[in-house]
Amino acid sequence: MRLFANINIDFMGKRSIFFLISGIIILLGVINIAVRGLAFGIDFKGGTEIALQFEKPIDISFVRNQVDKIGLGDVEVKTFGGSTGILLRSELQEIPATVLPKVKSRIETLINQSNPGIEKQVVTSSSSSITYSFADSLTAEKVSNQLFSAGFQTTVAADDATGKSVVVRLGIADWLKDNLTEKFKDNPFVVQKEDKVGPKVGQELKTDAVIAVALALIVILLYIGFRFKFSFAIGAVIALFHDVLITLSLFSILYGVIPGLNLEVTLTVVAAFLTLIGYSMNDTVVVFDRVREHLKIHKTIPLEENMNRAINNTFSRTIITGLSTMFMIIILIIMGGEVLRGFAFALFVGMITGTYSSIFVASAFVLEYANRTKSKVTF
Amino acid sequence: MMKELRFRLILILAFIGLSLYLLYPTFQDSQNSKSVSEALKPVEAMIKKNNPDLTPSKVQDMIASKKDSILSNNPDYRTAREKRIKLGLDLQGGMYLVMEVNTAKLLEKLAKDPDQQYLDILKKAEAESKDSEENVVGILARMMKEKGIRMSRYFGSIREDDARIVARLQEQETDAVTRAIEIIRNRVDQYGVSEPSIQKQGSRRIVIELPGISREEEARRLLQGRALLEFKLVKDASFAIPIMNRIDEVLAGKVTDSTATAKTDKATNKNQKLTDEQFAKEHPFFTIARLIDPQGRVADAYVKDIDRAKLSGLLAREEVKKVLPDNVEFLYDNQSITDPNGEKFYRMYMVNKEAELTGGVITDARAEIDQTTGSPEVTMQMNGDGAREWSRITGANIDKRCAVVLDGKVYTAPTIINKIPTGSSRITGSANMDEAKLLEIVLKAGALPAPVDIIAESAVGPSLGQDSISQGFNSGWIGYLVVALFMIFYYKTAGSFADLGVIMTVLLTFGVLSAFHATLTLPGIAGIVLSMGMAVDANVLIYERIREELASGKTFKAAVDAGFKVSLSAIFDSNIVTLLTGIILYQFGSGPVQGFALTLMIGIVTSLFSQLVLVRVIFDYINSKGYKINVG
Repeated sequence: MRLFANINIDFMGKRSIFFLISGIIILLGVINIAVRGLAFGIDFKGGTEIALQFEKPIDISFVRNQVDKIGLGDVEVKTFGGSTGILLRSELQEIPATVLPKVKSRIETLINQSNPGIEKQVVTSSSSSITYSFADSLTAEKVSNQLFSAGFQTTVAADDATGKSVVVRLGIADWLKDNLTEKFKDNPFVVQKEDKVGPKVGQELKTDAVIAVALALIVILLYIGFRFKFSFAIGAVIALFHDVLITLSLFSILYGVIPGLNLEVTLTVVAAFLTLIGYSMNDTVVVFDRVREHLKIHKTIPLEENMNRAINNTFSRTIITGLSTMFMIIILIIMGGEVLRGFAFALFVGMITGTYSSIFVASAFVLEYANRTKSKVTF
Repeated sequence: MMKELRFRLILILAFIGLSLYLLYPTFQDSQNSKSVSEALKPVEAMIKKNNPDLTPSKVQDMIASKKDSILSNNPDYRTAREKRIKLGLDLQGGMYLVMEVNTAKLLEKLAKDPDQQYLDILKKAEAESKDSEENVVGILARMMKEKGIRMSRYFGSIREDDARIVARLQEQETDAVTRAIEIIRNRVDQYGVSEPSIQKQGSRRIVIELPGISREEEARRLLQGRALLEFKLVKDASFAIPIMNRIDEVLAGKVTDSTATAKTDKATNKNQKLTDEQFAKEHPFFTIARLIDPQGRVADAYVKDIDRAKLSGLLAREEVKKVLPDNVEFLYDNQSITDPNGEKFYRMYMVNKEAELTGGVITDARAEIDQTTGSPEVTMQMNGDGAREWSRITGANIDKRCAVVLDGKVYTAPTIINKIPTGSSRITGSANMDEAKLLEIVLKAGALPAPVDIIAESAVGPSLGQDSISQGFNSGWIGYLVVALFMIFYYKTAGSFADLGVIMTVLLTFGVLSAFHATLTLPGIAGIVLSMGMAVDANVLIYERIREELASGKTFKAAVDAGFKVSLSAIFDSNIVTLLTGIILYQFGSGPVQGFALTLMIGIVTSLFSQLVLVRVIFDYINSKGYKINVG
């Protein structure tokens, strides 16, 4: 069977139409990103995320209601893999000042209830931890254990050699879990997944991701420049920019539009970007390789004609490989589970734009450049 | 031609064979895991029956941790376990933490007479450090300079300049990290996490991976708690051995009135005549805990690593508790020794339960080389209270041994040679400088100079991991079926060869993962699924070319040759580019993303091998027989 036998389409002749289409899509995307912004995952933004698995199915709006009552402000509540799972997310790093007294009084009550008349002293108190000091190390140990079994994250302070002080750490996740355990006594849950990222770590990851993408582009620029011609390298890298921009735009435009599709920019999505860079490059190189071959054989035929031939020759391969990879990606989107969906979606979009850009952006740029500078491309 | 073909065929078979060999432990481990699960079913039923109020997930947790401990401790299962493809935290569940020394707290503590002005500057420096790459020490030094205050006002002596003080403070920061790592390593070992990873990152960070931990609160507590350094007296042989004999008798089921010493002689006499089996029956305790000195001058014993759990079970028995005085306990060395057969042993000591002194009194410790003997030693200083106590303890226990115990593990047990009146002590006997350095860290661990905060963490429950694995593998084989059918439909016979190539790609990819002891993560599985789709690319390129060449009127053989040859440059260039992005991804990614980059890179190399070598061999073989292949 042959899908595209002996086709002879004048791809290059239509390049201005495709420049326009790409330009419009990117412009829309950039405006959208500027207005709506991108939703970053907590690995870049910092914050806390917990996925809970309840024993019985739960009503998401009821959970939302209960979570609102805790008063932590903006806590996102979503379903997570089925009717018994929920995902809670907050950008907060610390318990807000309005809730803090509630948390502290809860701790005080707990200590006083189990140890009436205990002597204690608050050594330091901040929004992330309270340190109490007790009469001796045995009492400290005891109180620490009591608070721990009540669901607080406590330890005997590591930096006090006497062992008399107890640190109670106040975390968003702990306070959420503590409250939900109380409220869902008849439907207990287990923690499926818990992530906490400090603001500094998030910032670092963001920088690393940008460096990684930039470095990939530079390496490709150098490699293609070395193997082909410099104008080919520029064309290839512009095509890659084009792919990443369009994919990012779609992440921004479609965020929150399709239910069950979580379009946040996370570390894994950045990995998908790098993969689609690699894939799109793959396509571009195959076309370039054929162009190079034609240019070597048919030295008298104009560049535009040679390019059209090369694209027509490789078109069948481009579509077949694209299809077989696409099958895998669609299956990953459907069956790969919640965690991989955003990743697979980025690849899905990237594959389409990657295939498109290797023809209409990379090659078209090389041609446009050669025409404008009136230079002859030879190998 | 045939000879060359045979060589390639052997190469292919060798790779397949090697992959299967490397993957066998993984297969074995999953079989073991199944049989252990089966064996634990009655246990699970019993737990459920005895504790009806436990939630099913709690029961699952208990069973899972039991299973894990059986699989990693039983020697029959352990080898397979160690050689299998490791699963990342996102697949098997577990915890990942990044901890950082709280330098601001450290600076607060180290400063001499910190006044309000100092604390204010420190607070500002800390706030600034939150969104800056510069570290707190540097920022503090800069701010002080801006205000015209010299660092020597709060640190060191008057004559030192700022640069020197900053350097020393940074050194102390690094020191705190090193100590924290030692404490954490020690505890994680004790907690019994299989295959933990604890690494230093940069100058102030520690990255910890704890696979299979289901109670994350407890783990977190374990990592952040106070380290307890104690000095405990080791019991003399004359005291310990009779007790050990009694334990041995009780365990063997014979309780006699004969004196313990007499029993020892008898036991040693009998020793020669007894077979191993009989000895094991008559001396259950000494079979497990082998005395280091057969003459019985020291009561230390060697215990096999795998026997430790059994021994603590035996010691917990009621009848044993009756003969073991409640003011003593058995402690193990922090490090194991390995005998020529590869068996791991731990040295076990009988010590006083009550510590003579705790580590809070130590003000300094230092590993040095003794000027006269040239051997490494560790010196330590104590504060006034500590020195007074130490003087009394050492004076009363000359020629006895005193164990240095950190969080319940013995690091060394030197003999007290004389009374130490000033607290300034020398510990000799370290085998090398590394060991001495470790002891220095341990001695200082009792008082960690600054808290170590968790700055990022990620925990995945075992059930989510299990779901991810099955989702990943289902996508894999369903995807394969779709692509395989498509290839056969489009390229007919030649398509089915490409499909064989994909199977080989996957097999080799897993083989390589196994050879590198790499970790498989969920994005890693996605990488394999993706490379299955992309693996056919090389073949598509070649087949399209063969079709073109055939259309231009070449013979089948010439078309095949040209197809493989001409496509090579495109295949090479495009894959190199993907490989380069893979390398970058691996460099900059962390955890799961690295797993993805790794499988992607391995997938590229193995798919090239499968598609270019395997498929070519099939083509050449059929060609040499004079048949043609349908390329659709």
